[in-house]
Amino acid sequence: MQELLKNIVWLEDDNPVLFAWHQKGRAAFKEFPTKKTEAYKYTPVSEVLTPEMLNVKSHVKDDHCDHGAHHLPFDAYEFCFCDGHLHRHFHAGDDIEVLPIDEAVKTNEIGAYFAKIDLAQYPFAALNTAFLKEGLFIRIHKTPQKPIVFLYHNKNRGFKNIRNVIVADKGVKAEWIEMFEGKDEAYFLNIVNEIFVLNEAKLTHHKLQHEGEEAVHIALSDAHVKEGGQYQSYAFEKGGKLVRNETHVMLNQENASARVNAAYHLLRKCHIDTTTNIEHLSENTRSDQLVRGVIDDKGHGVFQGKIHIAPDAQKTEGYQIHKALLLSDEAKVDVKPELEIFADDVKCSHGATSGDLNQDEIFYLESRGIDETSARQVLVNAFLQAAFDDVENPDIKKLYPSD
Amino acid sequence: MTNKTPVLEIKNLCAGVASQEIIQNLSLTIYEGQVHAIMGPNGAGKSTLSHVLTGKPGYEISKGEVLFKGQDLAKLKIEDRANEGLFLIMQYPVEIAGVSFMTFLKHAINKKRAYQGLAPLSAPAFIKLVHEEADKLNISDDMLKRAVNVGFSGGEKKRMETLQMALLKPSLAILDEADSGLDIDALKVVSKGINDLNDGKRALLIITHHQDLLDYIEPDFVHVFANGHIIKTGDKTLAYELEAKGYTDFIKEASCKSC
Ligand SMILES: Nc1ncnc2c1ncn2[C@@H]1O[C@H](COP(=O)(O)OP(=O)(O)OP(=O)(O)O)[C@@H](O)[C@H]1O
Ligand SMILES: [Mg+2]
Repeated sequence: MQELLKNIVWLEDDNPVLFAWHQKGRAAFKEFPTKKTEAYKYTPVSEVLTPEMLNVKSHVKDDHCDHGAHHLPFDAYEFCFCDGHLHRHFHAGDDIEVLPIDEAVKTNEIGAYFAKIDLAQYPFAALNTAFLKEGLFIRIHKTPQKPIVFLYHNKNRGFKNIRNVIVADKGVKAEWIEMFEGKDEAYFLNIVNEIFVLNEAKLTHHKLQHEGEEAVHIALSDAHVKEGGQYQSYAFEKGGKLVRNETHVMLNQENASARVNAAYHLLRKCHIDTTTNIEHLSENTRSDQLVRGVIDDKGHGVFQGKIHIAPDAQKTEGYQIHKALLLSDEAKVDVKPELEIFADDVKCSHGATSGDLNQDEIFYLESRGIDETSARQVLVNAFLQAAFDDVENPDIKKLYPSD
Repeated sequence: MTNKTPVLEIKNLCAGVASQEIIQNLSLTIYEGQVHAIMGPNGAGKSTLSHVLTGKPGYEISKGEVLFKGQDLAKLKIEDRANEGLFLIMQYPVEIAGVSFMTFLKHAINKKRAYQGLAPLSAPAFIKLVHEEADKLNISDDMLKRAVNVGFSGGEKKRMETLQMALLKPSLAILDEADSGLDIDALKVVSKGINDLNDGKRALLIITHHQDLLDYIEPDFVHVFANGHIIKTGDKTLAYELEAKGYTDFIKEASCKSC
C-alpha cells in the first residue's frame, strides 16, 4: 500500500487556481483505504489497485477516441469522456450552461457549488481534488427539453479522474444520465459528482455501469437538497472488478426528499459495493431507498446504508430496503444497515433479505414451455426491475432491466 | 380408436415424494378426443399425479411407465413436455412478482413456436391473439398488464390459467380443480373455454370435486381415485352416484394395490 502512494505522480498545474486545489487535495489524502478502514472494510480498494492503474499519462488524446459506440434511443444533450478525457467540443442549449470543470473553477459562478465535500471523510474525493482537471460543470437554468447524458468510454489502462458539478436551479425538472462502458483493461476510474438541487427543483440522476472485468470504479455522488427539492437517483451496476458506488445526500431544508434506488447483477468475481448515507437535517424530509442485488458465480455484493436523522429533523420519514438473490454457493453479500436517529417524531425503517430464486416460480414458467435458463433470466430481471419500477420517463426506463 | 397411439398411457405407476409413495400402481390410458374425469377424496393423490406428469421437481417415479404420445415422459424435460403439448391448470397457480402476464404469455407462446420451428409472433399479431382469447374469458386489459397471478382472486387465477391453455392449445390438458373458486358465471365462461379447445384432436383429464363442471363438459369416463389409484371407472352417471353417496362405500369395496 505504501508502494501505491510512492508510485503516484502528482499533478502540478501551472494555473494557480488549479494548483491550489491540487495542493489541498493532496494534503487531505492520507492513504488508500484498507480492510482496517471502517467505511471500506468490505471493499478494501487498496488490494486491487496497482501502480500502473494510477498512471495518469496513459490517457489518450481526444481524436483517438471512438465515441460513436453508443446510440441512444432518444434525443439528448450528450457529453463524452474518453478514458477520463472530456470531449471539449460539445453543444449545449440555452436551458443549460456548460463549462469544463477546470475552467469553471476559475469563475465566480461555481463558488458556492464546489468542494463542499469533507475530504477527511472521503479519501477518494481528496485524491480526486488532487487530480482536478477533467469534468463538467452544468448549471440547469430552465427545465431542459431533453435529458443530459454523460457517456464514459474506457478503453485503456491507467487512471481516470473526473469531477462533475451539477446544479439544478430553482423549480427546474431535469434528468441526468451517466453511462459507463469499458474494455477489459485494468484501469482506475475515480469520479466525484457534486450535486445541488435548489428549491422546488427535481433532479433525476440515472447511472448505468457496464464496464469490463478488470475495471476499478470508485464513485461518489454528493447531493445537497434545498427546500422542496427532490433528488432521485437510480443506478444499475453490472461489470467491473471492483465497484464502489457511494451516495451521500443531505436533505438540508424542509420538504426536501430523496429516492435512492440501485440494482446490481454480479457475475464471475465481480465486487460491487453500494454505500449510501442519507442525512435528514431538517423537518418534514423524506427518503426512500430500494436496493436489489443478484449475485452469481463468485460475486461479492456489499450494501452499507445509513439513515441519519438530526435532532431538529422532526416529522421525517426514512425507509430503506435491501434484497439480494444469491444464485451460487460461492456468491456472497455483506449488508450493513445503520440508523442514527436523534429526533423522536420520525418514521424510519430498514430491512434486508437474501435468498435464492423460488423453485415453484421456475417450475411454473417451465411448465409453460420456457426453458430453465430463460426462466431464471426472466425471474432475475423481474427481481432487478423492481428498483426501476417508478422511473417516470419510459425511454429511460427501457435502459434498465425489465420483464 | 384402439389402433391409434394413446395421448397418455400410464402403466402400473408408482410415484411420490422422497418421504412417501403417493401414486400406487396406477394405470390409465387416454386417447385423442377423450374427456376423462377424476374424482376423489382430499389427499388421494390427484394433484400429485398432475405434478408427476408435468415433472415438478421433488416428485419421482419409482416404478412403472408413462408414455406421452408414445414417448417416455420421464425422459422429457419439463419445458419439452409442455412444448410437446402437455398442459396443467394448476390447483394453486403460482404468483410471480415483477413479470406481467403479457410478457409471460409472449415467452410461452414464442418458446412453443420455436419448438415447432416457427418464427416468433410479431408484436401486433401477438397482442391481437391474446386479446381475442382474453375477451372470450372476460379477461380485461388491466388483468393482462398485472404481474402473473399476483393479487388475483381464486376465480381470476383459474380464468388466467384457462387463457394460457387456450393460447397454447395443448394435446393433453390436465385441469386440477379448474372449477374451484369459480362463481356460476365464471364456471360457464371457463367451461366454454374448455369446450372450445376440445375440438376432437385433444384430450382432457379433469380433476374435480363437483359434478357441476361435468354438466358443462361431458366426460367419456369418470374415475374414482383413492389411495393413489383408480378404484372404479364408469360413465357420467358415476359422478352423480358419488355426489349422492360419498366416497366411503367405494373405498371400502376397493382392493388394496399398494406398491
Ligand atoms: N411435496 C410433498 N411432500 C409431502 N407430502 C406430499 C407432497 N405432495 C403431496 N403430499 C401428500 O400426498 C398426499 C396427496 O396429496 P395431493 O395433493 O396429491 O392430494 P389431492 O388428491 O390433490 O387432494 P385435494 O383434493 O385436497 O386437492 C397428501 O397426503 C399430501 O400431504
Ligand atoms: Mg389437489
